[in-house]
Amino acid sequence: MNKFAKAIVKLKWLIIAAVIGLTLLFGYQLKNLTINSDIISSLPDDDPVAKLYKNIGSEFGGNDMGMIVLETDNIFTTQVLEHVKQITDSLKITEGISTVTSITDVLDIKTTEFGLEIGKLVDEYELPTTQAQLDSLKTYVFSKEMYKGSIVSEDATATLVLFTLLDDADKQEVAKEVKEKIEALDLPEKLYFGGLPMMMNDITFLIVADMVWLIPIVFILIAFILLLSFRSVRGVVFPLITAALAIVWTLGIMVLTGYEITIISNIIPIILFAVGSAYTIHVINSINLSVEKDRKKALIKALAFIIVPVILASVTTAIGFISFVFGAYLTMIRDFGIFTSLGTLIALVISIFFVPAVISAFSMYNKNTEQTNTNKKNILSNIILQPLANLLFKHPKYIFSVWGILIMISISAMFFIQTSVNMANYFKKDNPTRVAEDIMQKKFGGSMPIYIVFEGDMQNPEVLKLMKKTGDFMETDHNINTTQSVADLVEQMNDAMGEGKKIPDKKDKIEQLWFLLDGQEIMPQLVSDELDRGIIQSKFASIATSDIENFDKNMTKFIEENSTENCKIQLTGMPSVYVKLNRSLLSSQFSSLIIAIFMVLIIVGLILRSALKGIFAAVPVVATIIVLFGFMGITGIPLDIATVLVGSIALGIGIDYSIHVITGFNYKLKETGDVHKAIENTIMTSGKAIVINVVSVAAGFLVLLFSQLVPLQSFGLLVAISMFGSGLGSLTLLPVVLILANRKKKITVK
Amino acid sequence: MRNLKLSVLVSALFLFVGFNANAQDANTILKKVDEVMYSPKDMTGKTKIVLIDKNGKQTTREANIIQKGTDKRIFRFTAPSSQAGIAVLSLPNDVMYLYMPAFNKERRISSSVKSQKFAGTDFSYDDMEAKPNALKYTPKLIKTEGNAYVLELTPKSKKSAYSKVIMKVHKTHYYPISAEFYDKGNKKVKDGKSVYKKIGKYWNAQEMSMTDLKKKHTTKMIMSNVKYDQNLFDSEFTVRKLKQ
Repeated sequence: MNKFAKAIVKLKWLIIAAVIGLTLLFGYQLKNLTINSDIISSLPDDDPVAKLYKNIGSEFGGNDMGMIVLETDNIFTTQVLEHVKQITDSLKITEGISTVTSITDVLDIKTTEFGLEIGKLVDEYELPTTQAQLDSLKTYVFSKEMYKGSIVSEDATATLVLFTLLDDADKQEVAKEVKEKIEALDLPEKLYFGGLPMMMNDITFLIVADMVWLIPIVFILIAFILLLSFRSVRGVVFPLITAALAIVWTLGIMVLTGYEITIISNIIPIILFAVGSAYTIHVINSINLSVEKDRKKALIKALAFIIVPVILASVTTAIGFISFVFGAYLTMIRDFGIFTSLGTLIALVISIFFVPAVISAFSMYNKNTEQTNTNKKNILSNIILQPLANLLFKHPKYIFSVWGILIMISISAMFFIQTSVNMANYFKKDNPTRVAEDIMQKKFGGSMPIYIVFEGDMQNPEVLKLMKKTGDFMETDHNINTTQSVADLVEQMNDAMGEGKKIPDKKDKIEQLWFLLDGQEIMPQLVSDELDRGIIQSKFASIATSDIENFDKNMTKFIEENSTENCKIQLTGMPSVYVKLNRSLLSSQFSSLIIAIFMVLIIVGLILRSALKGIFAAVPVVATIIVLFGFMGITGIPLDIATVLVGSIALGIGIDYSIHVITGFNYKLKETGDVHKAIENTIMTSGKAIVINVVSVAAGFLVLLFSQLVPLQSFGLLVAISMFGSGLGSLTLLPVVLILANRKKKITVK
Repeated sequence: MRNLKLSVLVSALFLFVGFNANAQDANTILKKVDEVMYSPKDMTGKTKIVLIDKNGKQTTREANIIQKGTDKRIFRFTAPSSQAGIAVLSLPNDVMYLYMPAFNKERRISSSVKSQKFAGTDFSYDDMEAKPNALKYTPKLIKTEGNAYVLELTPKSKKSAYSKVIMKVHKTHYYPISAEFYDKGNKKVKDGKSVYKKIGKYWNAQEMSMTDLKKKHTTKMIMSNVKYDQNLFDSEFTVRKLKQ
């Protein structure tokens, strides 16, 4: 390691030039950084249900459907209808919008005294004005399943305006324009905006808000903590520069490789500020504590001492992040894992190459080593670390027992951990998207789309009858309000032809009824152009996993029993995706933790050249993770797309503290040959860096409490807690383990 | 300075008025268009309807048309076979009957909403209506362009889906060359074109096409076997005849 450290000092100018060059290159890319708020795009292609959902959503336009809910006392007044028409008209002439459906503009098939009328529910140019007309409209709307509870709420206090976007439209641009235009109408009724395009627009706003507000807060906070800890300019500047460069490089590489910022990866800068500054903290701390008189020698010696633990620390952290790659269901989580671990490694490279190079190039050595050391000892060491060390030797078994009890409680609390996959819960309660979701839930039986896909000839009577049967079966589930398919339309037309409300028995009749359906705006939302695929559209009202799983089970059974050679049936939809996501949360939590623990054990064991030490190092973090899950069980913080990451991150970062303690212990044991002294010494030196690190990392993550997205808030809190836990564990539990282990069996010094 | 500007404005105004006086009045032009389009007493012919989607995929339908005056018409489909025999009878005052051979029944259909598509084409019932343009629109001559007058037509009915139609009319023969349809947001939503050919003493719209600019979907109607003035009886245009 000495040679390595010497080489760094020798090649300082080359290193500095390379870092500046790369930073300019990556920094230049940042202008092309884009945000992807499309959650659907993150569904994995290797899961058939999710893939089908994605495909059906785009083929039949469901993913491009926006909705506006208008809420008032009574929909059936001329004034309200007039306002719905205003909204409808305004949407119709909005660039990028393909079709608009509302109570004033919806396909209606009715049998009249003359015969058949295919027209609109109401004449938009002659809205009903008299009470009699309004009453008769109300009676008619509620007599038809097509409208009741789907275009007008059953209590007649809310109505839906649905719009679809053109394929080539800039969805976010359209969503923004829709919101602005409709709000500019200044209508007296309450309006809510929902649907994926509107939600995406909202998410983009939240991502930008998080990045704009949280990054400066993290920056200032960590600067403040560093200033308190090091009381020197370079102690503040170097860690922050390291983190900043790591962020610029990582985001630059993201742009170069064609990735976008998502609701998860928007916290990469915050994580890198918190994590990436740590390695430089250790490097600087080591240089500060070096007592060598010759400055250059001091630097090299300090570097040689710290390189291994810092590499270990960052590699294990990177493993923590990369462990998501294997178990993650959503691609955005996989990408997040890859780039955060990359950023961690970049921070490592900068802290061991760039920071010492700059220090040596500009002779920024510590001016008065002796004084700083004693100064620091007085503040942190005497109050916290020294008493801690004393306590450890006095009562190792008590400390061991306290941890033991904590772990027992946590293990029993772990069984109460809940999961949360519903997107709506990701928004704060007062967020417009959340409010719109709630109102959709209350008035229109939810907003989670369900699609039953039929592959077969859409004009075949058997296929249409099966569609009808499936729709009827679905409606027996109390979470399904209405279903809609082309079979419903064919039935109505057949009725209008005077042959009863049923699917005709002969194909030629269906083909001729189709003559009137052709070109209707709703058709592309129900059947494919080739007429070889069709869907039943519905919505699911409950977000309870048990309800969803129950529905899923019943439908799967029904489909198995009813699929025929001529008609293949498949189920997909948001509820089905949620079921998968939910299962994957648990399995990915499990697999990523196992992978992370396993890899950390191997790496730590290899580098410390002792399997036993690898296991010792893992003790505090595993204990912390158990306590963490216990905490989640007790407080009711659910496992969701963000909190599922905490375990492995806690492991990856937390193991660092153990590594610092164990390497410090090894080093000191080699110097003194006395276990007692070695531990005390380690706590007094490495302990300081750990405390500073815990505080700065935890503070960095706690900033996420101000995030706009609920999972990120919980995520920040949980990571901060696990930082305290693993820091404390490495300074109490680990030394105790070392002490107790050494009492029984002397750890040999190599 | 101010005087100079004023004089420029005044002379420009004179020029404009002079030009307008020389050219024909917009109303006269539109009336002449109607004369060209609707002067035959009756007409029979075949039409091939080609639907072209945004990927260029084509589907074809065929129908026989008989028409008398401007308000009696039967569209009888002959292909594809699944729709063969379906017939639509249009009578004055928006009365329409549909006959479906598979049901062996006719039904009066109400097209209260004229902006709806006619049989899956890009033509709306409104576009298909053989009502004289002068009754439907208030015209304004905006310019002449090459061998065409450019008229801006404003719908008289507030129920029209359009805010205006820009129609190009052939200067010497007065048949429409093209029509651009604007929605109420004043955005061009449809593009119509026609090719006229003289058959006997009448100009015939041999090919008409309509493109839905939003959906990038086009419909072409190609006429053949056109015969004029065969003295068709009103009795050809009855529900009873529809069934045959």
